Formats: sequence, structure tokens, C-alpha cells
Amino acid sequence: MTDDSIAERAVSFGRVVSRLRRLDASMLVLLAFIAVLVFLVLNPILRLIVSSLQQADTGQFTLDNYRNAYGNIRHLEALANSLELGAGVAFLVTCFAVPIAWAISRTDMPGKAFVRLTVFAAFVTPPYLGAIGWILLAGPNSGWLNKVWMALTGAGHGIFNIYSMTGLILVIAVTSFPYTFVFTSSALDLVSSEMEDAANILGARTLRTTLRVTLPLVTPAIIGGIIISFLEAIALFGAPALIALPARFNVVSTQLWQFFEYPVRVEEAAAYAMPLLAITVLMFWLQRRILGRRGYTSVTGKGGERRMIALGPWRWVMLSYALLVGALSVFLPMLVLFQAAFAKAWGRGFSIDNLTLQNFYYLLFEQTQAKQTILNTFVYAAVTAFAAISLSLAIAYVVNRRLVPWSNVLAFLCMAPFVIPGVVLAIGFYAAYAVPPLALYGTATILILGFTTRFLPIAYTSSAAGLRSINPEMEEAVRILGGSRFLAIRRVLIPLLKKSLAGAWILVFIPATRELSSAIFLVGPNTRVISVMLFDLSEEGNFEVLAALGVILLLATVAIAAIGTKIIGRDFMLRRNS
Amino acid sequence: MFPVRRRNFILGGSALLVLGAGGKALAQAAAMTPHEKELYEAAKKEGGEMTWYTAQSDDITAQTLGRSFESIYPGLKVNVLRTTAQVAYQRITQEIKASAIQCDVFSTTDIGHAVTLKSMHQFEKYVPDNASKVLDVYKNYDPDGYYFVTSAGMIGIGYNTAKLKETDVPKNWTDLLDPKWNNNIALGHPAFSGYVGTWALTLRDQYGWQFFEKLAKNNPRIGRSINDTVTMLNAGESEIAGSGPVGTLLESAQKGNPLAMIYPTDGTVLIIAPSGIMKGCKHPNNARLFMEFLLSEGASRIWVDHFNETIRPEVEAPKGAKSAKDVKTIHPTVEQITKGIPEVIKQWRETFGV
Repeated sequence: MTDDSIAERAVSFGRVVSRLRRLDASMLVLLAFIAVLVFLVLNPILRLIVSSLQQADTGQFTLDNYRNAYGNIRHLEALANSLELGAGVAFLVTCFAVPIAWAISRTDMPGKAFVRLTVFAAFVTPPYLGAIGWILLAGPNSGWLNKVWMALTGAGHGIFNIYSMTGLILVIAVTSFPYTFVFTSSALDLVSSEMEDAANILGARTLRTTLRVTLPLVTPAIIGGIIISFLEAIALFGAPALIALPARFNVVSTQLWQFFEYPVRVEEAAAYAMPLLAITVLMFWLQRRILGRRGYTSVTGKGGERRMIALGPWRWVMLSYALLVGALSVFLPMLVLFQAAFAKAWGRGFSIDNLTLQNFYYLLFEQTQAKQTILNTFVYAAVTAFAAISLSLAIAYVVNRRLVPWSNVLAFLCMAPFVIPGVVLAIGFYAAYAVPPLALYGTATILILGFTTRFLPIAYTSSAAGLRSINPEMEEAVRILGGSRFLAIRRVLIPLLKKSLAGAWILVFIPATRELSSAIFLVGPNTRVISVMLFDLSEEGNFEVLAALGVILLLATVAIAAIGTKIIGRDFMLRRNS
Repeated sequence: MFPVRRRNFILGGSALLVLGAGGKALAQAAAMTPHEKELYEAAKKEGGEMTWYTAQSDDITAQTLGRSFESIYPGLKVNVLRTTAQVAYQRITQEIKASAIQCDVFSTTDIGHAVTLKSMHQFEKYVPDNASKVLDVYKNYDPDGYYFVTSAGMIGIGYNTAKLKETDVPKNWTDLLDPKWNNNIALGHPAFSGYVGTWALTLRDQYGWQFFEKLAKNNPRIGRSINDTVTMLNAGESEIAGSGPVGTLLESAQKGNPLAMIYPTDGTVLIIAPSGIMKGCKHPNNARLFMEFLLSEGASRIWVDHFNETIRPEVEAPKGAKSAKDVKTIHPTVEQITKGIPEVIKQWRETFGV
């Protein structure tokens, strides 16, 4: 042993000691948060992987689950259908979102505020509600669009059939394009006009400049959007259950549901969910490959001047396109949903004698479930939002101030649930925590834990962004003057972050009110949420009551979001935080 | 924002019910047998809300039954959870697997569920006093006293009278195979609905599985619950309900929808639907009292108001509607159902793709 190594050891020992010394009370609390993260994210996923390799009763190692899960041609078809669905949705979403984001961010298109509002409305509409709207619009014989078509042309049957793969792709795309929109438009907001000017000087026209310069500069955002919408589409449960079943095909999520029929085969479900995880990993690997070696450094954030491109008459074309997307995603489905909610029978159309409040009366006064369910939905979503933000703020703090070694692993764990399909996460949660020793089945706790995990990445992104903007000096001042870390956090950090945390709260709250994919396997009779109740009611196809419940969900969500926006005094979703 | 109002409402609501029903509920409460009174007192002490999983009717009828129970026994609450039978069964097996029983009374339309739950020792034995007072045909399905038939209904063929003339409609199950009904038949799904499962099994026994292979060529529209077929007729999406639930359809027709029922010549399918109390449930006395209620005259009256069969001799069939004793009915045995429905679900998936 040389002196050198002893010296090295002494130094490293000194580091450990100094680190241990910093283990004050607040550090312990932070460590507790880290344990929670492992509990929420790591354990369910590990349990999922482990149980996919276990025999149901004995727990012995086996590959039978995989053999059973893939040994059936229909199960493989469902897998292929899901891939087709994901690809279709990703394509359509890009077609919807990117032009609108470009028009709003870079051009002089009129009516921008209204178009933004429309995108926001699409964001709050759950996919299954959009699906119900589209069933009323494009049911092959009874849908409004088909009726109009038949009346106009005298044809014997309609031309649209929502009960098809195309129909399902459309329904999911129109409710999930806001993600790509937000990614793309916030990236476009940072690209300065200088690059475009350079192209213009070299003789390129607007279209060429846009396609060759502007959009390539935001490729990372667009690819991010494509991946998210692909993953979102293959993981959704509600819309496929409503549309794919009558259309007579299965997708992975509806097939996973079948593994939960009697006898419950959690292990097979786990095995069958593995490709979803594999696809997720593959997509992010591909993203790195595609983007890895190129530079997109023009997006510096400092940016020069930004001018709006004058489109001339084309600005009306862009507006029409935006309104067309708005019609598909919001105006048409909402029109028929509201009609159905206030109708005695939706098929009888828009007339005074068809108007009624009976559907709302039934829900609120005759159906005891509904009141409890509505209350549950908003309480769980609110608690989830608080929990996700507290946890992510703590983790972001640890990561940002590098309080523990390997803090990047923590950041990764916080972001991991973003790419785990909700159905898969729920199965992991069921396997890990529904059964004894914790036996959380049927409790509000398991739902809130599940939701918190699912929406942790949204909260983490906001918390981390907020923290980065605050210089540690202010905190250090408190500590130099003898204040504890908690005092610094409570009196300095939180007040400074209040607005961005409130924005994050709404961003978690809204998707939590509409979450179905992970709720469906975790609810008990007393912990039902609106999404699950809608799913159960939809079995009987009672669209009037369904629509009324959907209207209640939408109005309450919008009201809460509006109050929140008023409090924080800005548009929380559609503009950049900076 | 709801709990306070909700309590007020329910109190107010039950007061209204008591007054509005001309003291009918009061009279019933007064007529409580000593046994019921004993259960009622014990149930009140359990507190909380009893949970009832039911697949035996549509949501409206199920809620009416729940509210009626609450008005007869003030202070007791029923959380009514209506789903299709297989979904209810899926939830209950999830609960059993997690050893966290949430459900108190389990009412299914697939009698095989009751047989399996009993053999898995998941039902609690309880013989209601009212069990001996039902019609003889519904007595003694389980001589050991773990589950009892609490409702019955029929499946025929329904059609939309605004779109089809009475002379054109199918007269028998086999008429559904006629190519003229292509794209125009609505069906439920046996992996969801217990009614549809028994229906499919009965027709398989009658005509063999080829019947469904031919039916698939007519490209029927497959929903989940059997009640969905009625919605599809009302919406004009389909003209024929291939598995038409008599109760839901006639009730909808009474509300003014253009619907009518056909009782097929080979026989209308009769469904016998049982209920039982879950072992280890949280409200055992409330559950026992609820079983008494389901077998009571009052419950049968509600069933009949909603065009289902009565299981009590005191209650007459609804006016203008046919009851099971007026038509030729067919139904499989309990053993056939227990063994057959899982098979039928499998075959259905192969033939129809979902």
C-alpha cells in the first residue's frame, strides 16, 4: 500500500465525514422523500417485471406467463393493432399540432387567443368523453354527421364509421394533440428570426424557410411530441374500450383488461405488458440516436429579435385549418355532448320538447354513486396535485443543490413514470400494494399514490424549472444568519416559487380529474372516480346520462382551472414559464 | 361541497317518499317482523354504507331498489354499483385476491358465479325468512343456503317499430341469420353480460356453435351490456336487438320509444339470477336484511314496475306484458351454465374477434 492511496483514502474518508456531518434533520426528511420515490416508482415496476417471471401460486421462476401471453394469435394481433394505433395517432397529432403551433408562434394569423382557448379546451377533454361525442357524431347509422349526409344526398347509409381503426385514431388524436402543441410552440417561441432572415436573404420563400430552417430547429420538440402521443395512444384504455370493441378488434390495453377477468392472471398481464415497456425504452433510445450528434444550439433562449411572418391571404387559410382542428376536437363533440346531456333522447335531435334536466337530476339525486364519485374525483385530484408537487419539489431541491451523491438517478426516477403506460403502472401498483401486507385495495390511498406517481413527471418538470431560476445565494443568506434549511425553504424558497407551483398544481390537477387508465384497476366501490363511473355507465350505452356526467366533469374542471389561472395571474399552460 | 347537502337531501327525500307514497313505506316499516327488526337494529349499529354489486337490472331499476330499501329502513344506506355480471365478478375476484372484501351483497346474472363463489367458501351462509315465500320455481337453488334466486328475466328479439313492419321481423332465433339483417343486429357480449352469456349458451345448445359463425357473417354490432342493445335500437343504430332484454326493452317502450318485443317460436331464454352475502363483508347484518328485502313482496313489485319477472306469488305480472308462464321458455341447467359460459366466452372471442 503506497502513501498515495492512504492519502487518497484519508481524503475520501474526510469527504464521507463531512457528508455525514451535513446529515442534519432536514437531510433525514429529504432521505425519507427519496424512500417514498423508490416506493412509488421503482418497486411497482420491479414487482411487475418479477411477477411476469413467477408462477401464480408458488412464486417459482417460470416463462409460462410469456408463453401464455403470446401463445395466442389474437393477443399478437392486439399488439400489432396497438402499434398501428400509436403510429396513426402520432402522425395525425403532428399534422394537427405543428402547423397550429407554428401559426401561433411565428405568423400573423388572426384569432390567436381564440385558437389557444380551443387547444386548452381540447386539453381538458378526456379521450373517452371525446369518444362518446364522436360515437354520437359518426355512429354508422345514427351519427349526426351521417344523418346530415343522408339527408343531403339521399343516400341509404352514412359515410363515416367511428367503429373502426381510423375512427379510433381520429378520436385519440383530437384529444391528445395539445401535448405536441405545447412542446412545439414553446420551442418555436425561442427561435429568433435571424436564421429565417438569413434564409430569406439567400432567396428562400416563407414555406421553404419554414420547412428547411424553422421546423428543423425544433425537431427535438416535435420528436418529443411524437413519442408522447404514440405512448399515450397505446396506453389509453377508455377510448379503445368504447370504440374498438364494437369495431371488433382488440388493442393491448383492452387485452390487458381481459387478463383481469376471472381467473385474475396478474402474472400473465405483467408478461403481456412488457412490450409496452420495451417500446418505451426503444423510442427514447431512438430519440437519442436521432438527435444525439446534431446541434440545436440556436435555441439558446437569449434569442435576437422575433418578428411575426406576414402570411398575407394565407393567414386566413391557417386560421381555417386551426378552426377545422378545433371543430374536430372541441366544437362538434361538445355540441353533441351538451345536446345529449340536456336531451330526453339524443336521437330525437335539437327541439324544445326534447329538452330536460332529468339527466342531471338523476345523477345528483337518484343515483347515490354520482355525488360521492364527483366529490372523490376532485378531492383525489387535489390531494394528488399537492402530493406530487411536495414530493417533486423536495427531490428537485436535492438534485439542484446536489445534497446526495447520484442525485441524477433521483431525477430520472421522477421522470420515469412519464413513459410508463398508465395501465401498466396500475398493474404494477396492484401487484405491489393491493395485496397484503399493505392491502391497500379499495382505499383512497392506493388511488392517490397511483395518481401521484403517474403525474410526478409533470410536477417535477415544473418544480425543477422553478428551482433553477432561483439563485441559492438567497437561501445561503438565511443559513449564514443561523436559520435552518427548513426556515430557508419555508420563508424564502416557497414564497418565491408560489406562482410556478400554483401553475404546476393545475397542470397535475386537470389530468388527474380525468385519469381512467390507471384508476380502472385500483378503484373500490367507495373510491370510484368520474372516469370509472363513466366507463361503467357506458356499458349500457346510456349516452344522455353519460353526457350529463361528462358535462359536470368538464365544467367543474374548467371552473377550478379558471380560478387557479386568476390567482396566478397568467396562462399556466400555453406560455413559457420564463 | 356535497356531504352536508347529500345528507339533507336523503333525509328530505325519504321524508317525501314516506309522505308521497301514502304512508306505504311507513306501513311496511311498521310491519317489520321481529327477525327483521332485530337485523335492522344490528345493522344500524354497523354504521357506514352497505355495498351492493348488482348485474340483475339496468342502473335505474337497481337505484330504485336501493332507494326503496333506504326508505323502509331509515338510517341504513346502500351503495348501489351496477355493472355487467362479468365486470362485477372481475372486481370481486380482485378483492378476494387482495383479501380486501369491499362488497356486502353480490347479485349476478351468471349463476355459475354463485356456484364457484360458494365452492371457494367466499359466500356466507344465510337463509332469509323470505326464501320460503317465493314462487316454487325459484326455491331451493342452493339447498345449503349460500345463495338465493332474487330475480328473473327473459331474452327475446327486439326491434325498432319505426323502421320495421311487424310482418317483416324475425319470428325465431334462426331468422337472425337472414342476410337482410346484415349490419343491423345489435348484440351484447358474453364476456361482460351474464344475460348474454346464458343466452349464447342456450342457443349453442339449440343450434350448435355454427349458429354464431353464421351470425358473425351478418356483422352484428357488439356492445357490452345486454341493455346496450336497447340503446342501439332507440338511437336508430340497429333495427334488431338479437339479444333483447324483455324488461329493459318494454320499460323503454312504455316511455314512448318505438320498440316491440318478439317471443321466438323455439322459446324465449329465461334467466335465473342469484344473490349471496360475501364472507368477511363489513356489514353482515345490513347484508342479511338486504337479502330479506330482495326476496320481499316490495322488491318484486319494483321488479314488475320495471317489466321484469316477479318472484313472489302475491305480485301480478305487469299489464300488457307477457310473463314467463305465458310463453315458451328455454334455459340451461345450473351445471351447464357453470361449465358452459367460460367455454362460450372463449368461442365467442374466436368467432367475433373480441
